Amino acid sequence: MPWGVIFFYLIATVSILSAIGVVAARNPVHSSIFLVLCFLNVAGIFVMLGAEFLAVIQVIVYTGAILVLVLFVLMLVNPDELPSFTDAQPLQRYLGLLLGAVLLLEVGAAIITRTALEGVGEATPENVAAVGGNVHAVGRVLFSDYLLAFEVISIVLTVGILGAIVLAAPERLGEKLATRRGTISLSHTRGTDAELPVGPRGETPIKTDPNRRPPRPEAPRRVIKVTDPDERTTIGGTRR
Amino acid sequence: MDQPIWITFIVAFVILNVLLISMAYMTWFERKVLAAMQDRLGPTRTGWHGLGQPIADAVKLLGKEDLVPAGADKIVFRFAPVIVFVAALLSAAVIPFGGTIELFGQEVNLFITDLNVGALFILAVGAAGVYGIILGAWSSANRYSLLGGLRSAAQVISYEIVLGLSLVGIFILTGSLSLLDILERQAETIALGPLEIPNWFILSQPLAFILFIIAVVAETNRAPFDLPEAETELVAGFHTEYSGFRFSLYFLGEYINMIVASLFAATLFLGGPNGPGSDEYWGLGLLWLFLKALIFLFFYVWLRGTIPRFRFDQLMGIAWKVLLPLALANIIITAFIRLVANGEVF
Repeated sequence: MPWGVIFFYLIATVSILSAIGVVAARNPVHSSIFLVLCFLNVAGIFVMLGAEFLAVIQVIVYTGAILVLVLFVLMLVNPDELPSFTDAQPLQRYLGLLLGAVLLLEVGAAIITRTALEGVGEATPENVAAVGGNVHAVGRVLFSDYLLAFEVISIVLTVGILGAIVLAAPERLGEKLATRRGTISLSHTRGTDAELPVGPRGETPIKTDPNRRPPRPEAPRRVIKVTDPDERTTIGGTRR
Repeated sequence: MDQPIWITFIVAFVILNVLLISMAYMTWFERKVLAAMQDRLGPTRTGWHGLGQPIADAVKLLGKEDLVPAGADKIVFRFAPVIVFVAALLSAAVIPFGGTIELFGQEVNLFITDLNVGALFILAVGAAGVYGIILGAWSSANRYSLLGGLRSAAQVISYEIVLGLSLVGIFILTGSLSLLDILERQAETIALGPLEIPNWFILSQPLAFILFIIAVVAETNRAPFDLPEAETELVAGFHTEYSGFRFSLYFLGEYINMIVASLFAATLFLGGPNGPGSDEYWGLGLLWLFLKALIFLFFYVWLRGTIPRFRFDQLMGIAWKVLLPLALANIIITAFIRLVANGEVF
């Protein structure tokens, strides 16, 4: 068997296994690690097909996207409140299985009709080399045949970004921007920086509220008694 | 251009070892330069002028105990430093150290591979390397680590956009993403009256150069953008819980990233191995590349010795409100000039 085929099956196996891992992993962060692994392997298949540009773009775009996903998981998901695998309704399960099977059939049908009925497409290695490599090939197609779709997608993405800003921004965005000096602060709580008085230099600093007390903890913290210095750590994987 | 695959393996092996050794002596260089800036002596005890210090440090790190916190996600905790290290080494695969030379009757390429998307490859691998930081931070089950990791993710996502956009001007001028083509383009000379100056992109893309340098310092998490490991507020940031060999992998990764970034900058903006006599003797080309990279490495240390760390909100503000518009403006101006030069407008 030629090396190309062996590597293809290796990459394909790992990408399918990691795709299964995405849905099978209990921990959302583990799921996203599997997702990264899957996308990296798909990028490997792109490289084997001679589409280096797609491979690199796949890695740049999706690793960034999954990084954001990991951040959402870390910030929003409480690992103790995840639904269990087994408490789905029977209807949900069978419907899921049915929809999955339909999707698989659709993809299979698309591949078969494409290869068996229409033969090889236009992007053969010779045609791609003729226009000067796959960066040029993708660029030419994207900015000539699919220019309208490209621009529409750009507008949709811009609208999405604006929507995110409107949703995340404080209610009085205009006022804030008018009163704010310097940079947008991520470290202040919302609304505090607009109320800071801006005086001339050399003025006495703002006085804190004399009645303000630090909040009391509601319950005393649990004290961990440690008798051995190595008790809370593991060494080489085995707990002492 | 084509060579047997075993020669490629030998070249890759040599480059790997040179990178590791230069990483070790980068720490020595950094300590010596910092010491000189602060009117100290730096390491002097181990060997002549402290030259044995990196080796002593390496042996010390390898001998240390490998601790895993009790609450850690053990598999991820062990795997995360490896991602940083491998990603750092992998990006060196597309750096050209010269052209094709004749050695012992064999044609040898002084680069591991010439991807036609070489410049993007370095960006992609750099993006994958962040996972080592954020996963290591998350799996440590430590709040300081997690905060450091979150900062790192936000910082790298923001600055990677600037980094990528700052290179677009070069891509427009070269018409290729391959680093070899970019070098070839810079080997040309422009006649400026009686003067012949090299066509290095630092001259035609000065704004892109400044943006690139700022973004690359942020990408490699170095001062003044070393927020992920700000010791005054986060203990040691994302690698607080790491010790021994795993810590040294993070350390190796950071320094190799710096070296590769310097080589990358030298290749993109300073003509790489191009210099007087580099066409006749490939060794001279290597020397020029080394000296050019050393400029950037010195710059890293200089920054660390002189500039205080940014506040986190300042860091994000600079990326999104200053650098990004400048990068976009640079692209528009470069594309416009290119169109005018080609006679496609006016």
